[in-house]
Parts: sequence; C-alpha cells; structure tokens
Amino acid sequence: MAVMRDMIPPFELYQPTEVEDAVRLIRQHGDKGWVLAGGLDTFDWFKDRIKRPEAVIDLVGVEELRGISAGADGGLEIGAMTSLTDVAENADVMGRYPLLAEAAGLVATPQIRNQGTLGGNIVQDTRCWYYRSGWPCYRAGGNVCYAATSQSMNREHCIMGASRCVAVSPSDTAPALVALDAEMVVAGTSGERTFAAADFFIGPDIDIERMTVLKPGDLLARIVLPAPWEGARWYFEKIRDRKSWDFSLVSVASSLRVEGGMIQDARIVVNSVAPYPVRLRAVESAIRGRAPSEDTGQMAGEIAVEGARTLRHNDYKVALMRNLVKRSIRDAA
Amino acid sequence: MEFLRRALNPWGENVPIGVAWDLIWAAVIIGAVFVVVHALLVPKKLPAGEIDEGEAKGLPDRIQRHKPGARGFHWTMSATMFALLITAFFPVIGIQFPWVTIHWIAGVLLILTVLYHIYHVFAKQDVRNMWIGGRDVKEGALGLQAALRRPVKRPRAGKYPVDQKMFHHAATLATLGAVVTGVLMMFRVDNFLWARNEYMFSDATWGWIYVIHGISGIALIFLVIAHVYFAIRPEKRWMTWSMINGWITRDRYLENHDPERWSVPEAGGAGDVEGSAAGGGTGQPALSDKA
Amino acid sequence: MAENVIGTDISPPDLRAKITGRARYAEDFRAEGMVFAKLLLSPMPHARVRSVDTSAAEAMEGVLGILRAEELPVPGGGLREAALTDEPKYEGEPILAVAAVDETTAAAAVEAIRVDFEPLPFVLDPLESLREDGPDAHVDGNISAGRGELGSLKWPASVFEEAGADRLPMGEAPTEWAIGDIDAGFAEADVVVEETIVHQSVTHHPMEPRSCMAYWQNGKLFLHGSTQSTERTRGGVARMAGVEPDDVVFIGEYCGGGFGSKISGSPIMAVPAVLSRKIGRPVMLRITRYEENYIGRARAGFQGWAKMGFRADGRMTALDLYLVQDSGPFGASDVFTAATVATASYQPENMRFRGVAILTNTPPRSAQRAPGGAQIVAMLEPLVDKAARELDVDRLEIRKINAPGHDGWLGPQQGGFTSAYVREALDLGGELFNWEEKSQLSGQRNGTKVTGVGMGLSPFTAGSAGRDGLLVIRPDGKLHVHQGIGNLGTHSIADTARPAADVLDLSWDQVEIVWGDTSKHLPFSTVQAGSQTTHAHTRANHAAGTAMLGLLQELAARELGGSPTDYRVADGRVFRAGNRAAGMDFAEAARRAIAIGGKFSGQEVPEELNDATKAAVAGLAGEGLIAAARDNYSRGGSVYTWVATFAQVELDVETGEVEIIDLASTTDCGTVMHPRSLAAQTNGGVFQGIGMAKGQRWVFDPKWGIPFTKRFYTARPPGILDVPLSPRFAAVDEPDPHTPVGAKGIGEPPVGAGEAAYVCAVADAMGGLCLCRTPLTADMILAELEGRPRPYGLLETHV
Repeated sequence: MAVMRDMIPPFELYQPTEVEDAVRLIRQHGDKGWVLAGGLDTFDWFKDRIKRPEAVIDLVGVEELRGISAGADGGLEIGAMTSLTDVAENADVMGRYPLLAEAAGLVATPQIRNQGTLGGNIVQDTRCWYYRSGWPCYRAGGNVCYAATSQSMNREHCIMGASRCVAVSPSDTAPALVALDAEMVVAGTSGERTFAAADFFIGPDIDIERMTVLKPGDLLARIVLPAPWEGARWYFEKIRDRKSWDFSLVSVASSLRVEGGMIQDARIVVNSVAPYPVRLRAVESAIRGRAPSEDTGQMAGEIAVEGARTLRHNDYKVALMRNLVKRSIRDAA
Repeated sequence: MEFLRRALNPWGENVPIGVAWDLIWAAVIIGAVFVVVHALLVPKKLPAGEIDEGEAKGLPDRIQRHKPGARGFHWTMSATMFALLITAFFPVIGIQFPWVTIHWIAGVLLILTVLYHIYHVFAKQDVRNMWIGGRDVKEGALGLQAALRRPVKRPRAGKYPVDQKMFHHAATLATLGAVVTGVLMMFRVDNFLWARNEYMFSDATWGWIYVIHGISGIALIFLVIAHVYFAIRPEKRWMTWSMINGWITRDRYLENHDPERWSVPEAGGAGDVEGSAAGGGTGQPALSDKA
Repeated sequence: MAENVIGTDISPPDLRAKITGRARYAEDFRAEGMVFAKLLLSPMPHARVRSVDTSAAEAMEGVLGILRAEELPVPGGGLREAALTDEPKYEGEPILAVAAVDETTAAAAVEAIRVDFEPLPFVLDPLESLREDGPDAHVDGNISAGRGELGSLKWPASVFEEAGADRLPMGEAPTEWAIGDIDAGFAEADVVVEETIVHQSVTHHPMEPRSCMAYWQNGKLFLHGSTQSTERTRGGVARMAGVEPDDVVFIGEYCGGGFGSKISGSPIMAVPAVLSRKIGRPVMLRITRYEENYIGRARAGFQGWAKMGFRADGRMTALDLYLVQDSGPFGASDVFTAATVATASYQPENMRFRGVAILTNTPPRSAQRAPGGAQIVAMLEPLVDKAARELDVDRLEIRKINAPGHDGWLGPQQGGFTSAYVREALDLGGELFNWEEKSQLSGQRNGTKVTGVGMGLSPFTAGSAGRDGLLVIRPDGKLHVHQGIGNLGTHSIADTARPAADVLDLSWDQVEIVWGDTSKHLPFSTVQAGSQTTHAHTRANHAAGTAMLGLLQELAARELGGSPTDYRVADGRVFRAGNRAAGMDFAEAARRAIAIGGKFSGQEVPEELNDATKAAVAGLAGEGLIAAARDNYSRGGSVYTWVATFAQVELDVETGEVEIIDLASTTDCGTVMHPRSLAAQTNGGVFQGIGMAKGQRWVFDPKWGIPFTKRFYTARPPGILDVPLSPRFAAVDEPDPHTPVGAKGIGEPPVGAGEAAYVCAVADAMGGLCLCRTPLTADMILAELEGRPRPYGLLETHV
C-alpha cells in the first residue's frame, strides 16, 4: 500500500453546540472519533492521513467552552475553546497572570493564535518528527523509538523523563499553567473530573501513546486558575530557532513569592526537556529562603539539570535548561 | 482475527511489530475454559492409593520434597513471573503505571534464576529425570483414565509425575522464548550495561522478536492460570504445601511415587533427598527444581 | 516631455491582481472536463521497482488512468531526470501518477496501489560515497563523467585517515585549476588562515508549488504552469510531451517564486501533459507543499576547506580552495561557479581550486539564487575576518584592498568585467551602516548579550546579451511591449520594458506589457536566471525601442515628407522637430503601418532575429507598427553585480540566540531602474541568505535517508521577526558603460552578502571564533560557549 500525504481523507463532521451533546458524541465514537478545536494539530495529522478518524467532533460551536470569567476564591476560569489571542490579550489575564498571557502570546503566529485554542495548545500531540512522519514508533503503537538511536536527528528531543519514547511536550502554555497551579476540568458523561495541571500531563512510562490523562471519550472543558500569589514575580522565556511559528527548544515558566528580599515560595517549570512539563520541586525547595540572585539562580540551574540524560544531538539542552532556570529566578519581575 | 500487529516501516514495507493484543484475552478465556471444564470433569478426590507397608518400612514420617533453597527459587521465580506478566499486560488492558523498569529488572532476575537452574540441571543433576519415557506415557494414560473416573489402578510417578514434566516443558519453551527475546530486547533499553541500539537487527527481525516475546508471554498467561488452578486443587494441595514447608508425608510419598523410580534415604539419613525436588504439583518444575 | 521612467518607482501592472487575489496561478485554472492527478512517491532513497499492482486502484470508481515512467516520451535514466521513474534516486521521487475525477479519489487510488520496491544502497553524505567501500547514489557510479555518463570516484582510506575527523579529506579531484603559483603565494604571506567549512544544502521553498494543468486541443498542448521564464519554457514542455514547440501553448502569467528552481519549468510538467493526452481529459496536478519539498529542487551543499595567505598590507597573496559538492542524484554545477565567484571578491594573486561533485540520494539540486556564489561567500568571508584580526587591518578595509576595480579579472580565464564599482559600494555601505562607529561595538557586553558586527561582500553574475525585443504600437496608440521573460515576482516584466518607453519618450501609462502566454507572440528571451534579465532585456528593449524610433521616423517621413532625421518622437507622437503639430500620434502611425505593411507591420523582419522572435512577429504581422530587434550592443566583459551587507547582532551567551539589531546593504548593480523594487530584491535576498545561515534546515535521518524538513515550520525559513523591521539600503547607481541603460542584475548577489554578514557578525560576537558551518543554530553556538561537546561532527551535513 503506497503512502499518500497532504490530502485529507473524508470523515463525518459533527458540530455540536452544547457540552453534553459534544460529550455524548465523543463517547459514542470512542477511539474512532476525533475532537477538533482550532485544528492546528489536527489538520497536520489529517493531511498526512496518519490519523484517520471516522467522525470529527468540532467544538467551535460550543459557546460554553469559550470565554474567560471570574472563578471561585478570586481565581479565573478559561474555557478550553478560548483562542490563544483572547487569552494573551485579556485584561484579567494580562493584569493578574502575565505569565500565562506571555506564554500564550508566544505561540506560533498571530493567525495561529487567532485560530488556536488554549485547550488545544495544552493537549496537542508532540511534534517529534519521527512520530509525525507516521513511522511505527512506540508512540504510534510500534516497538521502536527512531529518535533515540545512535544515528537519530534528535536535537529537539528530551533530556529527562524518557521511557523508550524521547519526544517532548511542545506546549507553550502548559508550563505556565503548571507554574500557576492551574486545574484542568475534564468533562465526561458521569460529570466532571479535576486534575492539577502538573498531574494532567503524563509521561511515556505511564502511557506511551498519550501526553495527557485524556482518553478517548474525554473532553478538556476549562482551565481554572487559583488566585495568584500576592506580589508574585514572574518569568517566562521560550527559546526557539526563529521568532515566529516555532516550537520551543526549551521554555521556562516561574512564579516566585518574594518577601523581604527572600523567596518564600516558588513554582519553576521547564518544558520541551521531557515528554511533559517538568515541575522542578527540588529547585523550588532549594531556593526557598534565599534571595532571587544570580547565585541562587546558578545553584537552581545546577540542581535542575541533575540526572539529565542526553541523546546524540541534544546535549545543549542541558546548558540551555540550566541557564533558563537561572534566569527564571534571577530575572523574574 | 489477526494474530500479528503489522505496520509500514519508514520505507513503506509491511513488517510485523508484535503479537495481536487480543490474544491476551484469548489466553485468559482459554485458561478459564480449561479451569472450568477441568473442575467440572475431574473429581477433586482421587481413589485412595494403596500403601504398601513394606515400602514404608524405614522411611521417615516426613520426606523432604523441596529444600529451602529450592523453595526460595520457586517463589523468586513466581514473583518475577508475576511481576513480568503484570507489568507486561496490565498496561495493555488499560491499567497504567510506569512498568518498563520493573519489567526489565524482573526479567533480568528471571534470566539469572533460569541460568542458575540450567547450570544446576546440567552440572549437578541427571537431566534424564525430566525426559518423558515409555513408563511416563503409561503413567499418563493411567492418570488420565483415573481422572476420568475410570476404574484403574492409581499410577505412581517417578521423581516427577508426567503431567508435571509436560507442564515443565511447555513452561520451559515459553519462558525460554520470552527470555531469549527479552535479552535481545534489553538492547533497546538504556541500562547500566550498554547504550540502546535499536538498529541491531532489521525492523522485520525485531518485529519477529517482539512476536515471539508476545506469544511466549501470552502462553505464560495460560500456563500461570493452569498452574495456580492446580496449586489450589484439593487433591494437589499436598504438593503446594510441600513447596511452602518443604516436606510431604510418608503416606503421600508412597501413594504417589514409585520408590523404584524415586528412592529416598531411610530415616535417620541425612534427609537430603537427592534429586527430590520435583516442582510440586504446580506445573512449574522448571522454576522449582532442587537448588 | 514625458518623465524619464528609469530610476523612478512604478506600480507594476500585475501588482493589483496579486494584492486583490485576482491573479490566477497555475492551479487556479479550470478546463472543461478537467480531472485531477496524484503522484505516488518513492518511499526509499534508492530503489528499483520490481512490480506494480494497480488492479485495486483501477477498479475504483472515478479512476481514469495511470501513468507510468515508461510512457513518458523522454524517459529518465542515468543522470537524466524524468517526471516519473522506476528506479528512484531519492525518497519522494515520483513513481507514477493516477488521474481520477477528484483528488480524494486519486489519493485513495494511489494508496490502493501496491509497489514492490527492491531497496538499493543509498548515500546522503558525499564523503561517505568517496570511501572505498562507500555506497553510491547510482548503481553505476557516484560522479558525472560528462556527456550524461556516470563514473566512479573513490579515495583510498589513507586520505581519510590523514584528514582525521576535523579536516576535510582531500583526495584526487576531477576538477582543478590554478592561477599563478600557490606555494609562492603562501611563501609570500605574512598571515595564513585555514579552515574546514560546511555549507548546507537547502530546499528552495517557493511560495507557489509547481502545480500544472494541461489539456490538448486539435493536437496542440495547452499547459498552465509555474515558471521563471515563459518563452524558454515552451521548448522544454514540448520535448517532455514529445511534440514540436509550435504545438505547445504555455501559459504562466504569475509565478509564486522560483529562486532558480523553475528556470524553464519543471520536469513534473510532463505528467499532466502526457496523462491528459492518454485519458483524453484535461488534467490538473496540484503539487502539495510536501511534494514540493521533494521535487522542488535544492541548493547544493559543500564540504570545503580553504587556506588564505595575506601580506601585512592586507593583500591576498594566495587562496587555496577545495570543495566537495553534494550534487543530489542528477548533478549540480555550483561548485564550479563558486571558485570563480571567489575571484570576483578577492582577486587573489595566486589561487588553486580543486573540486569534487558527488551524487547523493537526496532530492535534486538546481540553481538556487546565487548557486555556488552564496555558499562560497558565506564560507570564505569569516576567514578574511580572521586574517584581518591577525593582521590588525580593518575588516572593511581588507575587503577594499582586495576588491576588483574596473580592471579586475574573473575566474581561471581571468577575463575582465564590464564595470566594478566595488570599492564605491563598500564605502557607501560603510557610511550607511556607520561602520567606523559600529565596529567599535564589537564584543561589547550588555547583561547576557554580546554585540557582534560583520559584513559580507558578495559578487555574482548579472547579465547576458544577444536577446530580442519586440514592440508593437497598435491602433489604440499604446506601446505594447512583448516580454518572453517570466513574471516571478521581481517586477522585471515591467522594469525591463522601461528603456523602450524611455527611448520613445513615452509616459508609462501608455505602455502595455504583454507576457505570460506563448500564444501572445513572445520574442526570444533569456531564461530568467543568473540575474540576467534586467541587463539582457533592458538591452533588448532598448534595441527594440531604438528600432521603433527609426520606424516611426521613417514612417513619418514617408507619409508626411522630409527625411526621417527631421522627426522627433515624444509623448506618443512622431513630429517634425520644432513643430509638434506637424506629425501624427501613435494610433495614426499604427493605422498607417498596417496600411503600408512590409517592414512597418511585421511582414518583413530583420534576418538576425531568433526564429522564435520571427515566429512571434509573423503572428503579429498586420496588427500595428511592429519593431523587433536583436541586442547587438557591445558586451565588454563579464557582467557582475556586487552587494555588500553589514550586520550588527546581539548574541545571548546564556541561550545561544542571536538577534539582528541592524542591517544595511549597498550594491553596485549599475543604473538603478526601480528603486523600491531594487531595495525589495536586495533585502529579500539578504533575508534569504540570513535564513540559510541562521536556522533554515534540511535534515535527513541517516539510517533511512528520509528528510524531515518537508514543510515550512520544520524547514524554518526565516520569518519577518527574525530580521530588523527597517533594513537599510543604498545603491552606487553608476551606469555600466557597456550597456545602453547601464543596468545590471540584482537577484542573486544579496543572498551571499546577507549570509556572510550574519556568520561574520556571529563570529565577531564570539571573539572571532568561526564555527564555519551553516546552519549556525543556537544549539551549536551555546555548546561552543559552554564548552560542551559539539552537537554535530565538523563535516556532518544535513543537520
């Protein structure tokens, strides 16, 4: 059977307008269904005819999944279908969660941010080009990681958290949401389940074919942000090969609670170094009670990269991650 | 039903990548059917064997069947086998946890144990004890008739009953299949010995290695089901106990074993029964032979 | 008097259509009964088709036909590429095409075809193929032995052992030339620098993929395609279809970029041409971005080594150059151009060049905007900087010292240039960029950022001569300029028409450009490549304009009395000198020309015209006053343009990221025809070069021989945020004395200038350390700064 690319095969399109209809359709079609948000991840898969669902459930008409509103306890709730532009330019997000606004604003290009959604950015699949080429790797149900051989081109791949698969999480907003202690609300027929952002993303050691806890039939409904720390300092940086339409080589998101010149509490999260956003708990506890200085940053960076395991071409990520963690403490504002 | 999972490799060639996971359920169902059918057909009590008082003379009350070392090995192997099967198949059926490290470490333990067993069998024991000969066939035929409630004289086994031998060989095949392919697959896991090399064989060869590993594993599901079932069968429980406490009674010995084929030292002897550690009635002799 | 249109900004006639979307590109056309074709691509980098089973596809409803390689009138073989093949030489080479009522069906049919391929050994890295036991790209060899024959070149193991891992192995080279005595040159040198350098291969990625649509009417092939050169594409299409050029109508009014990959169409055009004839229906072949990555051509990469010697005064006494080219499966000639271009930068007193071109199983190469030139400029300029540092000579100064003047020479034959205002361009650039001050910022650190400044001087060929111009003044009174050149977005269809208007002193709104359709009677033109067009066709249209002027004067004298020299032409009238009223307007002239016939309306043509032009004139005969002329102006040497680009960058030492803070470019390209367009061309080329240096990639998996950078986001050409918002530009604007308008081409030289300026600026920010490879990505820079292992071997390609 010859391989054909760049030509979307036919499918049944469903465009529900209510969450419950969407959930019912998603359940009904199970692993033969596909949930479509902005389509930026989806259409690449479809065009290459690698993912060939029978039914596509397009969420664009489900108004309830869109929008930004005040949450309980001074927090904020963001519908999963809210566009990245709306997240990046929302006054509440910009004012109280600049970390998220910045992360969302650095995604791809203005057009993609208009079309792409926060939910889609969170649950998007990895961009490992071996996997995206339709090769039968572990993540695709096969028995090999083409990216981890002695000849592989794996400059973009992971330095920690690998388990057979060495792909990385591509999301820009994911590390920001983990750093903000966000919660992911997943809708299902039996009601809603809530996951801490840090637990929402899973590694290949747990399930090599998925990047999040979402299984066929699940729907990420909204993202709940708790009230931000008073006077928190933030830092977000995304290193990429070009300044638009590019995924991160390494990104870092931090939020620091600094009182009396000392760090009282911290969230430091790095992405694109592992198959999931990595919350650096050891770093967080090590910097507590210290000043957010160059020295603290340096120490934090060293701790952060402990145990990193490099592939043929991605050794630089160790230095990059170490330096970004340093900056995320030293330069947080 | 498909028996293999296949995929197009990067060059568009159709290659096997593993065994169809549906076979897991096939093994479970076949195992369950076997258990149910066996439980329904085969009486839980065998006709009492005749005990020849003459044979009993001079034998101790308790005859050691498994030395502590042998028992240790049996249970080590059982543990690794369960660890391997659970880590292999639970994630496939949807119970997800980080399994790879446990799986390969358990695999390494199993390999070491098997290696030790092979060494011991060939260096210290008479391999012929495990051969199935004419007497075993006869014994088996009688056993089968007895099991089917035919009025026959209850057969007595040599060192190892024939059903155990057969089970041993099936399990040996499955285990060696899993072990040999597992060793090769270790070359695809980063570990303390070497860096992974996914391109050691062609993808088709790797595919067949995965298929054999999968078939072996799935066969072991069936074997383990049968093994556990027999271990808890009332008429076999004496053997199960012997794998726990090491000994059987003189009566059990005389009832089930032919002293001509398995002689034990008389009372007051060292109690070290040469070659006595048949693997219980639990179908896993390979894992529980004498240490 | 009409305002002189040369040197002013105009809106080209196609601009509005492009901006509003009215412009129709090849894939926008439809024909009655049109069906769609899809390609089956080779999944392997080198293979042989053992068997093909199309039964399932043919049984599908809506499938109309399948085209195989052997059905092509000109099948491929050896170094000859064809649209389809049964022995693919790269992953992605088209094997067959399926026509169906729609693309969905055609795609499903392709998927239903079973092809049994026999994999053959393949090679991605030329150096691997040069090893004694290394694989070859073709079954019959790894080099071109000339005349389409294959040969084999292997180096003994000792060559590789001697070189080690970090130096280019240099065995026997099939191409070698020298100027002077290289050893004496180095003996004379006070400073010698030497590096092993890798320049990547990169795909062209024009915005418009090479889609094409074809149909047949009464034995004539109509083909809509994307091409750089309209008139010169017809012959190729005719050959592919196995018909005479007269039986081909080629239509291509707009071309969404070519960069050298569509010089005279594309081999793939044979598919709709032949398939539509086979099934008797018009066939549209829409090439996708993914397919374009494979069949869309690429620049040939180099693995090179260079050694330069300089006297204390900065003069280059010796240049020793060794280049190994990755030629793709069918060959490339960049390597030969490269050495010649180097002479146009440095005029070395002594030089030796050795070159090896090795075939590989990667997608085909073709010219890409300064083929060979951009590579060599970006490879050598950092070495010049290195020498300048050692000599303590200013980096701008050392380029001026070595740059050619009007008496300069080019290449191994050491022929002359038509003009060379290189020092003027360098001086202008130094001023525009403020080199004197900016070079003081070199190495300055601000937080984690270090400033680097660099420059690149890039020469490239920029003209040719001997083409034809064809003008018609119709009874509508307008001057119709027939342009056989293509319209690939450079404005040259409009800009090269200006000399005709200028000669006739005609305002621009009275000029109509006729282009993009060979049935519209187009004259013999250059292929729109090698930056020839501006030069070649300002000349041709100047010649035609002059001929038209003569015809108008002659016509007026004949009709109104007096001698032709009594008449002047301006503002759309021919009139007696000093008396505007005594004359006629162009509309009248056209009517009279039609009435008179003969040489006035194309019934007679100059014998020296090219046959294509004669045919075009014959087709137009009787439609107006027709002037066709050949460019017989003096040649006067090689036509070269130089571009100098200056860059200021900031390198973040914690991330390896480089930001371009300032960019300024200047050029000697002769007379400025169209300032806005010239600046756009130059800046665009500079950005393209920066893209190659900074992050554009062409990555292959070495085990499978398959590329990953198949789409824009993985191939990463630069985006608008990667360059400064307001790059500056200025031109010397000195006319070339050997061409009537004074204009030379500009398309190609900016690429090398931008690329070199970038790599030199990055090296400057790293304290003069040249990593000597492209792409030069953040990971490589960071690894170097952090003292970590290099991400790639020094000679590794496709990274």
